[in-house]
Amino acid sequence: MDFFIQMLASGLSVGAVYALVGLGLNLTFWTTRVLNFGQGAVLMVGAMVTAVLIASGTHVIFAVAVALLTAAFILILIEALAVRPLAKATGSMGWIVSTLGAGILLQGLASWRFGTQAVAFPDVLFSSADTVQFLGAYISVQYIAVFVISVLIVVLMELFLRRSTWGYAVRAVAHDNEFAALLGIPVRRVVLASFMVSGLLAGVAGILVSQVSGTVDPGFGMHLLILAFVATVVGGMGSAFGSLVGGLLLGVLEKLVGGYWSPAAAEIVAFILLVGVLTIRPQGLFGKPEAVKV
Amino acid sequence: MTKTKTLTAISFVAALFSTTTVLAEDTIKIGMTSALTGPYNEFGEGNRRAVELAVEQWNAQGGINGREIEVAELLDDQLNPDRAVQNMRRILDNEEIVGIIGPAGSGPTLAVMDMVEADGRPYMNPIAQTPVITYPDGTTGENPRGNIFSFALQNDVEAVAMGQYLADNFERVGVIHESTAYGVTGADQLAASLDKNGADEPVAVYSYNQGAQDMTAQVARLKRDNVDVISAIGLGTDLAVLRRTMARLAVDVPLLASNGALGQPYQEGAGDLTVGTLGTMIGAFSKPMREATADFAQAYKDKYGTDRWWGNDPQSPQLFMAISVSNAYDAANILFEGIRRAESTEPEAIINGIESILDYEGVNAVYSFSEGRHHGIDPDSIKVFEYVKQGSNMHLEPVTE
Amino acid sequence: MKSMLNKLQGVISNAYVLIVLMLAMAVAAPFSDAGTVQMWCFAAINVLLAQSVNLLTGIAGQISLGHAGFFAIGAYTSAIAMTNWGVPLPLAVAFSSLMGTAVGYLLSIPAGRVREFYLAMMSLAFGLIVYELLREWRGVTGGVMGMRGIPSAQIGTLELFGIELGTVEYFWGLLFAVLVVMWMLRNFVKSHFGRAFYAVHVSELSAGSLGISQGATKRFAYALSGCIAGLAGGFYAFLVGYLTPESFTMMRSVEILVMTIVGGLGSLVGPVLGAVLFTYLPQKLQAFNDYQYIVYGLVLLLTFTLLPKGLAGLFNVHTRFSKRDQLKLTTDANAALTMRTPAFDPLLRVEDVVMEFSGLRALAGVSLELRRGSVMALVGPNGSGKSTLVNVISGIYAPTHGKIYFQGRNISGLPSHVIAQAGVSRTFQDPRNVPAFTVRENVLMGANRLYRHNALSAAVNAKWAKVEESRELARVEALLGAAGLSDSGDKVIGDLPYGTQRLAEVARALASDPELLLLDEPAAGLSEAEAEQLVGLIRLAQRHGVAVIVIDHHMDFLAGLVDEVVVFEAGEEIYRGDMDGMRTDPAVIEAYLGAEETENA
Repeated sequence: MDFFIQMLASGLSVGAVYALVGLGLNLTFWTTRVLNFGQGAVLMVGAMVTAVLIASGTHVIFAVAVALLTAAFILILIEALAVRPLAKATGSMGWIVSTLGAGILLQGLASWRFGTQAVAFPDVLFSSADTVQFLGAYISVQYIAVFVISVLIVVLMELFLRRSTWGYAVRAVAHDNEFAALLGIPVRRVVLASFMVSGLLAGVAGILVSQVSGTVDPGFGMHLLILAFVATVVGGMGSAFGSLVGGLLLGVLEKLVGGYWSPAAAEIVAFILLVGVLTIRPQGLFGKPEAVKV
Repeated sequence: MTKTKTLTAISFVAALFSTTTVLAEDTIKIGMTSALTGPYNEFGEGNRRAVELAVEQWNAQGGINGREIEVAELLDDQLNPDRAVQNMRRILDNEEIVGIIGPAGSGPTLAVMDMVEADGRPYMNPIAQTPVITYPDGTTGENPRGNIFSFALQNDVEAVAMGQYLADNFERVGVIHESTAYGVTGADQLAASLDKNGADEPVAVYSYNQGAQDMTAQVARLKRDNVDVISAIGLGTDLAVLRRTMARLAVDVPLLASNGALGQPYQEGAGDLTVGTLGTMIGAFSKPMREATADFAQAYKDKYGTDRWWGNDPQSPQLFMAISVSNAYDAANILFEGIRRAESTEPEAIINGIESILDYEGVNAVYSFSEGRHHGIDPDSIKVFEYVKQGSNMHLEPVTE
Repeated sequence: MKSMLNKLQGVISNAYVLIVLMLAMAVAAPFSDAGTVQMWCFAAINVLLAQSVNLLTGIAGQISLGHAGFFAIGAYTSAIAMTNWGVPLPLAVAFSSLMGTAVGYLLSIPAGRVREFYLAMMSLAFGLIVYELLREWRGVTGGVMGMRGIPSAQIGTLELFGIELGTVEYFWGLLFAVLVVMWMLRNFVKSHFGRAFYAVHVSELSAGSLGISQGATKRFAYALSGCIAGLAGGFYAFLVGYLTPESFTMMRSVEILVMTIVGGLGSLVGPVLGAVLFTYLPQKLQAFNDYQYIVYGLVLLLTFTLLPKGLAGLFNVHTRFSKRDQLKLTTDANAALTMRTPAFDPLLRVEDVVMEFSGLRALAGVSLELRRGSVMALVGPNGSGKSTLVNVISGIYAPTHGKIYFQGRNISGLPSHVIAQAGVSRTFQDPRNVPAFTVRENVLMGANRLYRHNALSAAVNAKWAKVEESRELARVEALLGAAGLSDSGDKVIGDLPYGTQRLAEVARALASDPELLLLDEPAAGLSEAEAEQLVGLIRLAQRHGVAVIVIDHHMDFLAGLVDEVVVFEAGEEIYRGDMDGMRTDPAVIEAYLGAEETENA
């Protein structure tokens, strides 16, 4: 029983991070129909900047703030360099390649600036030795913190998007940006804001994950991006609630397969889930199928 | 218009194909390929520094039998097997090269092994720990490849020391290893060694991928299997993740790590949790150092200062230097010593020269080679250490003997 | 004179320069050192890989971020075949390309269900699954320890029928394979198969209207791409003699993609340039290693914006998608359309068709009949259901209720490519040509349903393939003449004025030699002269017994052209009869003409 609870706790914790990254992906997807393949590197930048600043003696809060702003700024750059110039081109090939390139470029820049070795990530959020006991199982306070923060952000974002004027604008742009422009919605600003917030979310996610692993290196992030994407597809592209369910489902499934079957098999769970969902129900659990436009 | 473009294209392609190598005559030339850049340059760059130090020292003494040594090919493979194959081909194609120093890991080394053996020129393996590199039949000390000499801490050799310690002190051994050639052979060898030392086989063996961010599944399973020690074979960053996961799940059995993990990345990644971690390592740099070791440490400090490879204590080098720097220093020195004894640059003569070496005072060990013995590091060069905290510094203190 | 110039250009076009260069390398190989020849081998393998990605991504438009997976499957297959089962070299290599084909085909089944970035992620997942399998399936692949002891050309352990093969001999074999693959690819791409790949790439909707099944085309593209990548893998195994999963990581897939994109997607010469460049760059420029990620990143980030056609575009290389430059053409202006004998039975019968979109009724029970050689106009305000009816007939929508009979066969609900294959051709409200194709190639695409020769004949330029291609090219020539486009035949259509594009689309629909032609607002945006040409084309079709349905608002244009007018209002027919009757019909005037006539007057 305690074994199961341990698996569940760590699965929920990583799953919540998948959901957080997935929400960031979704935000930009809503406003531009673009999925940022470079988002993994943005996670890395968020964590890397935090770690490097703290190591050089900066106060934690200041370091985190700078890191988050950097992440948001990078997404604005990605929008300007990798997304907008290719908006006119038909099909998705252009931006898939360009956003992927942006990610690899960031990875290269980070290696060049900070070296290719992993950088230690300091304890910002409790220490890994802090645990609480629950039904005989030890549960890390860090896991709980990561879970709570991620879920809180996802839920708040969902409420914000549903209730606020900005949320209304985002949904209008998502629905049809020409129509939104006719309604007087500043489409350009909504798009930029969505990229900025997506960057902030990626930065937070990067910091949370590094807090769990203890280190961050330039290659960090790609794997998480894929897992977050899987979570989003499973939940349904375009649904924040879907990302959350998809993320938690994937996280728990991975840990259970790893715990009860084999840790090596856990590596493939996500991919099999992805291929399976895309084959059987491409719109995901909570998504709507896309209609053919003539 | 099109024609000029075509011409540009042709001349461009022609420029790509041409090889321009102008070399000074009558030097003794060696070649090296290693991970000079990329995520694994911890080892590759350390090796390069060591080889250049050795070359400098020999040349300062007048070279080998009056001839200067030159690193004629110094190539970067980033631990990528294909790149290593291409680099090695380029080195082997250079007929003037008389000796080779190989890549910084088992993957690329396995990829170049067959071609190097077929070529026949002496090859020094500084790092790759998989025994089959030197002994293709898998038994250390029997039927080595004719031209290959190893200065690595072979998996099986390390496993002997590790297995002995585990067998003496614990009942239920859990093993966790990275899913690479290094990790897999390491785990196999450890199981064999436990068996040889009369202990039970490991209660559990699990693997993880390099770069894993969480090992809850593995650690919780080890806990469920009720192990009384966790023995880990992998690199420092991943070991830090393992250590943190252990803390999170309140697993407080001892952790015994292989040599690859006992360095800066682990100390930084695990922070205070580092204290108490056990590890096997070449004992060369633990105090008191042998004279040859102390001389090397001084020479290294004079040339490079107290850099990343030296470690964070300016007074004494970290033990990790033995597998990231001084191994290649010894490899280069033994190669040069072999050439000196051979008084020739013919492959067979050099190999005979090396095989005639007896009790050579190297940095990591006292080396002896023979026709059947092509590896340098024996179990008695290895000790078990424990991380202790001294002030703000982490230190490895010997536990055994 | 002009044809002389064309011929000359054909001879010195860069493809030939490359072939000469390759032959020169073949001659030079025995005199070069082993390392040089080995690098040539790596370059040749990369050329195969880049061509494989180019076929799938550049031509058929299906992005692949997991090509290292195919490469790995090829490599391990041939290595296992030779070391474990003693299969001789040529068979082992053939076996890997077969394996690549099979896996490509299998992957295309789930991949065919998704598009765009879903597909990209799916291919990424494919690559990662293969990588994990290589690591974990120890019994077969050797796991992370890799496979050692594979016979290898560079250490002299590779034999063929008892003769030892060295690096030079191996290079010859590899070069021969590359030349054959490239020759076949060139012929293939210039055939109707290549045009079908491109059609699916540009618009799956319009591909369907040309009788091209997007599912089958994608499956074919995946299988072929897998075949070539598998072949590359087969050769790779015996070049290096040691396989490890680390050679088949995601970075390898990215590398292959970079080569192809930098070389130039969609061109045949481009991937060769890209492959050679990125084989040598890391070798020649050790500094490249330090900045490898930065370089790859920048290349991927900026190529599509700055250099969308890659190096091939820079060197002015264009791949053409017809065999016109290879064939002697016979022009027979009368051959444009088949003459059909008039029949009494209606060609098309629409019975009580209802079309609903999530509760909204776009068509509320429409029935009509059409005979060969007659022209029917559909008229009505926007949203009255005209275009919906055309979309239902051409199979883009399946009707909610009702039946459609074409030549006596019930076609309601059949996929659009099946209906197009049966002889129903259409144009779209906004022209859906392939912008990068010339006018001639676009029109030739229309003839797709008439081709009968198979892919192999196309790839080796068999006589059958040549005969069919010449026949269709001659028909296209005649159609271009009829459309007044003879002078623009070799111009890239995307650069031409809107009116020309529209006319070309109508000519394209006619190139399929259709039984039934559906034109959705063909005259919109045409100049008066162009409208004349359009009327001429419709008359030409009518004379040959083609039935025509045309949607349009321009009464002047329709007058004198159509035999019957059907007026729609809110998905229902409110008038049927001749043009004069329509002008005086009270219901029509109320619903539509009142506003429309004054506007046009």
